[in-house]
Amino acid sequence: MPALEGHVIHTTNLTKKYGKNTALNNVNIEVGNSGITAILGENGAGKTTFIHACLGLIKATHGQISMFGLPPGKLTSRRRTGVMLQDADLPDLLTPREHITLFASYYPAPLSLDDVLDMCKLTTLADKKYGKLSGGQKRRVQFALAIIGNPDLVFLDEPTTGLDTDTRRMLWDVVRKLAEDGRTVILTTHYLEEADALADRIIVMNAGEIIADAPTPEIRALAGGAIIKCVTNLSVKAIHKLPDVKSVRKTGRFVEISTQNQASTLQGLLAADINASELVVKKPSLEEAFDQIIHNQEQA
Amino acid sequence: MKYLSLNAFFNECGAEILKAVRAPEYILPTLILPVAFYALFTFALPNSGANSARYLLATYGVFAVMGPAIFGFGVGVANERDRGWLKLKRASPAPSAAYIGAKIMVTLIFASLALIPIYLLAGFGADITMARSAWFMLFGLHLLSVLPFALIGLTLGFSFNSNGAIAVSNIFFLGMAALGGLWIPAFLFPTALQKFATTLPSYQLAEIALAIVGAPSQSGVDRIPMQNLMIIAIMTIVLAGLAIWAWSRQRN
Ligand SMILES: Nc1ncnc2c1ncn2[C@@H]1O[C@H](COP(=O)(O)OP(=O)(O)OP(=O)(O)O)[C@@H](O)[C@H]1O
Ligand SMILES: [Mg+2]
Repeated sequence: MPALEGHVIHTTNLTKKYGKNTALNNVNIEVGNSGITAILGENGAGKTTFIHACLGLIKATHGQISMFGLPPGKLTSRRRTGVMLQDADLPDLLTPREHITLFASYYPAPLSLDDVLDMCKLTTLADKKYGKLSGGQKRRVQFALAIIGNPDLVFLDEPTTGLDTDTRRMLWDVVRKLAEDGRTVILTTHYLEEADALADRIIVMNAGEIIADAPTPEIRALAGGAIIKCVTNLSVKAIHKLPDVKSVRKTGRFVEISTQNQASTLQGLLAADINASELVVKKPSLEEAFDQIIHNQEQA
Repeated sequence: MKYLSLNAFFNECGAEILKAVRAPEYILPTLILPVAFYALFTFALPNSGANSARYLLATYGVFAVMGPAIFGFGVGVANERDRGWLKLKRASPAPSAAYIGAKIMVTLIFASLALIPIYLLAGFGADITMARSAWFMLFGLHLLSVLPFALIGLTLGFSFNSNGAIAVSNIFFLGMAALGGLWIPAFLFPTALQKFATTLPSYQLAEIALAIVGAPSQSGVDRIPMQNLMIIAIMTIVLAGLAIWAWSRQRN
């Protein structure tokens, strides 16, 4: 077996066109041999297309993809990869136990069936027909198929869509465990708190292009500054005149002041309105960073 | 790694059998219809006798394997492709030979289940007397007939969504049965249709089966069974090429 050094995924100028529509535009991504990478982006940004291209399910229009140092879709790399697709449903008439056993037979060194059933909270559902499971339970079976092969690389395309909070936590735990064991996880999500909680690295895609790619803390810091939330008599116009204010938003009794520099803005605020109350200063969330990245892109 | 593919193959076979027996409403008609037709045309209609029973055994045997092969592959594959299961399997290390091989295996089992009652009826009910070797050759030919029809089903399954595949499979199933002379002998067709019939695998297979049972050819003239064998072999190779092309087209 080849050593695990180097890149697991390496794409150069990866481009995929559907007619006139460019789903991926010159995507360059390198993913090393461990860690959790989250791919974020609005509907139609190209996340699923990227995953499909890496798996060899679709042909790139141009550009290169290397998976474990090989072209995509090779059997040796497929044996080291587990996949949960966004829209793959399984035959209704087989049970989770039968589905997972079948997929286990494809891999050289699969995990034990009982362990995976347990990890994915499927033990009590193991002998029910797949077609009779709820949407979230079906997703759990699909997740089990992604990990049963004990793969070095796992793709999860929107794994937690439609899952309840407990199940989502369960999935997060398993994903973290995979990463701790030195495996590489690539996941897409529309839940920013999920990326925030899980990912070491975040890639933001927009209209087929990568518009940000950095470790999670750096992405969060892109929003910069801080948010000051308070109740004040000052008008929005007056607040805008305070030092270093980027934007102001009224939410009910509160105003939310986004600032470049919390110290100078706070000083100015308290100087102008000594009665400002219920003051809270918070770090911008990943969501705000994300909004800003997408927003800047659209202005550019 | 050899062991791995074999293990996958057995697991695929198990999965295919479970899927089929858990949806008997799909498989039962294709098992019952041929023997019901055979009984009807052999026993219920006038001027029946050992000769027509023998003739119909040859042609209805081909008809009996067409159902499980065309529908099992056409509708089965289209359905599994529609729901994205085949996409997931292509992304996984699932050997595609194990998937196709298991489906062929299960089709052979169901083809046998469709054939056996017809053979029992022919042997015990219609008093057909043939050399034992002829019975075995005929059964072998009927089982091998699964292959070209399965390849047609496979091509349809890769080319149409599941609703489309049901409709198109029906057209191919009924069309090849009727126009191939499996229900009414082709020599009763108008000349143009007779010519067309020879282009169908169902017709070529029926000709070989008729030669085995020693019944007259559908063409009305002398036949050369070797020639029919060559034609069906070439047809099967072409159909395999078509199926592979349809398969590879999925990677758009
Ligand atoms: N098979 C296809 N044929 C034509 N266009 C396609 C096809 N698949 C995807 N596209 C287009 O490619 C673009 C990217 O789609 P993709 O599915 O990768 O988006 P996504 O980021 O996964 O979105 P979502 O968050 O909704 O899952 C979209 O504009 C989509 O319309
Ligand atoms: Mg998607």
